[in-house]
Order: sequence, then structure tokens, then C-alpha cells
Amino acid sequence: MSTLDKAPASARPVPNPKRSLITRLHMGTGVVVGVIFALAAYYGLHSLYTTYTDKVADPLSSHDNNIVLLGAMLSWSVGFMVGIGAFIGPWRWLIGKDLTDEEILYLAGDGQGTKRYFKYCTDHKVVGIQYLVGVMTMLGVGGTMAMMIRTNLARPGAHFVTPVVYNSLVGLHGITMIIAMIIVATGPFGNYIMPIMIGAYDMAFPRLNALSWWVLFTAIPVLCSAWFLGGIPTGWTAYAPLSTQAGPGMNSFIATIIIFAVSTAVAGMNITTTVVAMRTKGMKWNRVPIFVIGATISVALAIPAFPTFMLAMVQTGLDRTFNTGFFDANMGGSGWLYANLFWIMGHPEVYVILIPGVAALMEIAPVFVRKPLFSYNAAILGFAGIAGLSVLVWAHHMYLAGWAPSLNGPFMVTTEMISIPTGLLFLVLIGTIWRGKPWLKLPMLSVFAFIWDFLIGGITGIYLSDVPADNYLHGSMFVTAHFHFTLMGAALTGAIGGLAYWYPKMTGRMLNERAGYISFWLVQIGFNVLFFGMFMAGAEGQPRRVIDYAAFYKNSNLVSTIGAYSVGIGMIVLLWAVIHSWNKGKVAPMNPWGAKTLEWTVPYPVPLTNFDELPIITSDPYGYGKGK
Amino acid sequence: MANHDDHAVEALPPTPGERATGFIKRNDVARTIGLFVAYTAIFIILGKYFYPKWMPTIMSKEMKSAETIMIWFTYISAPIAGIVLSVATNSFLNAHRGDTPPPDGPAIRTNGPIVVLWTVGSLLFTIVAIVWGLLEVNSQAVAAANDAKSAITVEVTGSQWLWTFNYPAQGIETHDLNLPVGVPVIFDVKSADVNHSFWPVQLGIKVDANAQVTTVIHTTPTMVGAIEVKCAELCGLYHAYMETNGAVMSKTDFNAWVTAQGGHTA
Repeated sequence: MSTLDKAPASARPVPNPKRSLITRLHMGTGVVVGVIFALAAYYGLHSLYTTYTDKVADPLSSHDNNIVLLGAMLSWSVGFMVGIGAFIGPWRWLIGKDLTDEEILYLAGDGQGTKRYFKYCTDHKVVGIQYLVGVMTMLGVGGTMAMMIRTNLARPGAHFVTPVVYNSLVGLHGITMIIAMIIVATGPFGNYIMPIMIGAYDMAFPRLNALSWWVLFTAIPVLCSAWFLGGIPTGWTAYAPLSTQAGPGMNSFIATIIIFAVSTAVAGMNITTTVVAMRTKGMKWNRVPIFVIGATISVALAIPAFPTFMLAMVQTGLDRTFNTGFFDANMGGSGWLYANLFWIMGHPEVYVILIPGVAALMEIAPVFVRKPLFSYNAAILGFAGIAGLSVLVWAHHMYLAGWAPSLNGPFMVTTEMISIPTGLLFLVLIGTIWRGKPWLKLPMLSVFAFIWDFLIGGITGIYLSDVPADNYLHGSMFVTAHFHFTLMGAALTGAIGGLAYWYPKMTGRMLNERAGYISFWLVQIGFNVLFFGMFMAGAEGQPRRVIDYAAFYKNSNLVSTIGAYSVGIGMIVLLWAVIHSWNKGKVAPMNPWGAKTLEWTVPYPVPLTNFDELPIITSDPYGYGKGK
Repeated sequence: MANHDDHAVEALPPTPGERATGFIKRNDVARTIGLFVAYTAIFIILGKYFYPKWMPTIMSKEMKSAETIMIWFTYISAPIAGIVLSVATNSFLNAHRGDTPPPDGPAIRTNGPIVVLWTVGSLLFTIVAIVWGLLEVNSQAVAAANDAKSAITVEVTGSQWLWTFNYPAQGIETHDLNLPVGVPVIFDVKSADVNHSFWPVQLGIKVDANAQVTTVIHTTPTMVGAIEVKCAELCGLYHAYMETNGAVMSKTDFNAWVTAQGGHTA
């Protein structure tokens, strides 16, 4: 990006749109080439398959022809990336050249208006908006599935959906929401806001930044295809041997995870490198805004986590296509191997989700109470402690799997120890708001909601981490309620707070306040009603992931469903507010909240290179308060 | 309150005791302490009544210990919840509204003793939780070893979507889980197909059923009554319906039932 760094805005060279292939590629060409690749793989593999085996099974409905579908799905992803132009740069390297300065500038989306949102655009602000729209879409889809689940569970014996559809809803709601929640804060805010926060012109690897988004994008149709291939029966945990037994829809799940893991690895490496290498002059480690620290720790934790999941999915795919039997006890494999691989990803993953949300709220709280962040060091210790311990606790998901009962004690010790760094996060937040007069705008309300929700999620987590209590609670609705309190009540609340906080910088408009408040209360009250009902159902002994239940559980389930509708309506109100305010909201001043971080020193629209001249930092951004 | 802050340094009484008294008498501190007491009480009441009200009949020591842990962990969490929620509520009640930011608050960067105290407090809390859990796990393992000789064995097989119980000593196979009261029982659990999780709800124990391997759990039913057996691991299409009933019965009734099933009693 050396050209961008040096060239003043007026003297930038104009790209020649007629000569370069780059200017003709966009999402549409990506889809076309992707479909061509997918069809080629489909028919090619199918003819190979029928040539070299006796079988003539139809890949779309048969169980023993998985390689065709898996190959087609992964080829779609590669083809899309070819068609959108992701490999033009690497190709030039192969022939010993690189992109010209004009092309680099063109890729950054200079002067292309809204078209650049549909191109392979390297501008981190464009990628941030792409992630924001993508996340909102995923939350909408996942939320709709949640509403269908709760509608089906409103009354015992109701058959709103069939068991096949219900199990698919459970699994696809799970994986959609997990993917959405992993990127909900680091995607939009980590890409759009974070480089500005640390005083950088762009991310360290702008082309990889575009790659991470568009690769993720290709996973969306793959995941959706599960619906047309008979759904997935396994839940998002995809335990073997249920996953081996599953129909063709399982291929969609496997391909989605493989594609998603590539996207996360690329994004995680990019964000980590950016923060380590591209902080502006004077931004020492003890002056970095806490959101940046949190987001970095989160993505750094994701870098080792998701390849494990990818590996487990590749093995599942091999088991299904070539009968390798990694996870099949009848062939000498072990389902526990899968469970271990899954949870080695799965437990760091919940903290990958949680930490950026908390960090966003820690960024928000000092601004709205006009006090410094309480004990910046404790906050970092809290994040680092959680990240460090989170890789040592995975088998608490397997206390009752029978895998290694003698390890239950050690895993209980590490799991309970997470209370200590988690406690520090609470201390930082309550220390920050203590003796302050909080400015009750939507971002600040989210801080209060977080404190309550995460407290409940935390306390119930302590029971679950204790083996004798888990004997009863494991696999029940109690667990479902617990992790929704942490992932939705804590992490999503944090992300919504972050959205309300950074919305003015990302869109140039203020988020509609009245709609924001209405949505906040509908969602928060509904959420608590919903999951208190689910705690009840779990304590009463209702298992998770059931399509139906005995009349005994009808009150608690009805309570949950009523709460769910309140959440659903609240989320629709929020969606309306976001869309409406984007066009018609009050025009935002440059620094509406009076915050001291760098993103509020740049105008809207943010210039292509963010800063004409990089700022020099002399203190951390929390210098609020009297008598410093 | 704001005035007080402005002059906090000048107004400090000379001795630590007087400083403490002054601190407690401050409006916001007094209100926070009041809120703390209220929240702690609410959580204790919640712990005392929520689980006993909602959890099913307790029919084994394991179930009792699960309930006790949930109640007591709520009790020891109550003061921590009390601190967090009282500070948050106190702050919420001081809220500033309007379209301009509030005036700056005191520039408290950190407070060493508080951070240390908080960390030590959460460490103690964690130690209590860990030690409690380990002792309980240990006592359950010891009980299982001691009871092994006098126990009856039930071989449990999960298959999509049915539980089958084989009583080898009695020579019977059923789909209802009936057990004699007061006699230790060992469940040898396995699966004929995918993973299931064997959960006799009122007995408060659970273990996965896996293909090709046998997992073992142990309990002693302590009272007579009906029990439900469920599957706690998603196992495909009719997972929700993979449940059956059973009962803990007196030894005489159990023997009569075994005989009626065509088995032989010891």
C-alpha cells in the first residue's frame, strides 16, 4: 500500500477501467464462475464415481455418494474466489509481477460508491460494512429458526414442524448463530473501527481482509443448501457416529466448517498482525484501547481453535466418503476422538465469542460515565487469563461421556479457575461505573444489561462445572439456558452496545434512539423471561434438543416461548432502527459521545486512508475525570 | 454527593476509624450497602426455594448432592452477586439523561487493595467450589467401590430410539427400569448405534451410551417411587421420544416383578 501512504488525495492516479480485468470482476462474476466450478466438480466426480464403482446412486439423495457433493461445494467456494478476482494478485506473483499502483487503488474501492460493497474491495471500512450486513443477515436467519423452535415448543404435543425439520432447525440455528456470534464484534468493529483506533492507514494485509469476508460469504449458500439436501440431524456439535449416519445435508455442514475455518484463520492472522505491527507512533501496549486488546486476544485464540474443528470435519468427511473409520468404533475408531477435537475448538470458541463483546463494553463504559477505565491491567489480566485457561477446560463438556472419568477432577479444577479472571472483568466494569453518573444512552444501557446477564450466566456456569451437579444438569435445558445467558445475554448485548456506540462513525447517522430503547427493553426483558423459563424446564429435567415434552413441563416452556416472542419483536424493531437510521437518521457529529479514542477524530465519510497524517499518541484514551 | 467528592481530600477525618465511619455514612455508600443486603438476600431466597421447588423428587444420594451443590453455590455466590448488582444499581440510580455528556467523575485509575481483595475473594470462592466438588466426586467413587459386591447389575442398551434393560443375575430383559430400594445398582451402559445418554432423572446420574464400549455408573435408590428414564444426547429423529418409565420398589415388590417377568430371584 505504499502508493496510498504517500499520494495526497488530489494527486492519485486514475485507474484505466478499460484495460484491466480487475475492473470487470465483482460478486456476479464470482457467482457465475463459482457455479461453473461447482457443476464441473459435480458432473466430473459423479462420472468418475460411476465409472470406478458399481453404484449409480444419485448424489442429491443418496448416502454413499458424498464425495460428489463435498467436492462441488468446496469447488463453488474456490470458483467464487477465482471469479471475484481474489487470485489476481497471487497469479501476478507467480509470473514475477505485482498489481500496479492504479490497480491497488482500484481494489481499495477509490471513488466507486456503493459498487465497491459488491467487489473484492480491500478497504477495511468496506469489509467492516460487509461484515455488519452479513452478521445482521445471519442473526436474522438464526433468529427466525429460533422462533420456529420456540413456536414448536410452545405447547406439548404440538407439531408445528416435523422431527426432520426440527432437528435441522436445532442444528442450523446453532451453527448459524455460532458463526454469526464469532464475527459479530470482530467482523464489523474489528475491521471498520479497529485500524482507525490504533492509528493505521489500513489493515496489515488488505487483500487478505477482503479474502476473509468473501470466503465467509461463500459459506452462506453452502450452509443454506443443507435445507434442500434433507437437513442435518446432529445439532451443531455433529457428534460421530450420528454424523456418519446422516444424509446428504451433512455435507453442507462439513463444507461450511471447512470454508469458515479458512476465513477465520485469515482474519485472525490479519487482525493480530495489524495490532502488533501497525499501531501509530506512541501507542505503546499500555495505551492501546481495551477493545483492541480484547479483539486481538479473541482472534489470537481463534487461530489455533478453528483448524481443529476443520480437521475434525475433514475426518468426518473422510469417514463418510471413504469409510476411513476415524470416529467409528465398529472400525476401530472412536467417537470420543471426535468429541475431544470438537471441544478443543468448542471451549476456546465460546471465549472467542465473549471477549470482544465485553471489551466493547469496557470501551463504552468510561466514555459514558466520564471516568477512566478502572484498572486497565486487571482488564488485560482478565482477558489473558480467560484465554489461557480456556484451552485447558474442554473436557468439562465430556464429564459424562464416559471417556475418562478420572480426568473429571483435573478438568473441574481448571474450569472453576476461570471464575477468577472472569471476576476481574466484573471488577473492571463495576469499578468504572462506581461513583460515576452514567449517561443513559443505548450503549451504556447495554453495559448494565451485560452485568446482569453475565452474572446469571456465570453463576449457573459454576454449578455446571461441578461434576456432581453436572450429573443431573448435563444435556438438559438448563445448559441451553446457561450458554444463552453468556453468549446472547453477554456477548450479543455487548455487540449491540458496540453497534449503538459506533453506528455514527460507520454510517454517519445517529441510531434512532426511541426505537433503540424500545428494542432494548423488549429484548432484555424477553430474554430474561425466555431463559428463566428454560432454567426451570432444565431444573425440572427436560432434555435439550427435544421436539416434544411431557405435559409436566408445559408452564416453563410456555413462559420461554412468550419471552422468545418479545425478543423476536425487539430484534425486528432494532433491525428497523438500523435500516431506517442508515438513510434517514439524524446526521451525526464527528464525536457524538465525546470519546477520546482515535476513531472519533476522523470525519464521516472516513477518508480512504483514514488519516492524512498519522496521529502521535501521548497517553491512553481514558483520561477522563477530575483530579487526574 | 458531588460536593462531597470535591472536598473529599480536605474533609478526611484524621484516623482510619473515622475515615471508615465517614465512608460508610456517605450517601452513595449507604445506598450501595442497603442494595447489597437486599440483593444478597434475594439470591439466598432464590437458592433456597428455586431448586427444591423445580427439581423432581430426590431418590438417590447423587441427586441429593446435585441439589445441595446448586443451593449452596447459589448461597456463596450471593454476596458476589450482591456486590456487583448493588454497585451497578447505585450507579444506575445516579443516571444522567439528556443530550450532552455528564460532568466528569473522579479520576479513579485503579485501587490496589480493592483489586487484591477482589482477586483473593474470588480465589477463596473458587477453592471452596473446587474442594467441595472433588470431595463429592471422591465420595461417590468410594461408595461405588464399596457397594460393588452387594450391587445388582443392570445392562443398559440404547438404540434408536429405545432403552433396553438386561438384568443378568435375574435373567430378564425389559424396557421398564425397575429397581429395589436401598440396594446399590451398577449400570453397564452401551449403545447399539449412535451416542445416547442414559438419564434416570430422579436418580440424578447420567452417562453416555457409546457403541463398542461400556460405560459404568453407580447409584443407590433411597426411596420408593416412579422414575423416568430419558435420553440426554441428541440421537436423531425421535430423540425426544426415547424415554421410558420405571420405579424404585420395595424388595418384595421387586422380587415379585422379577418372577412375573419370568426371571429368578436370588
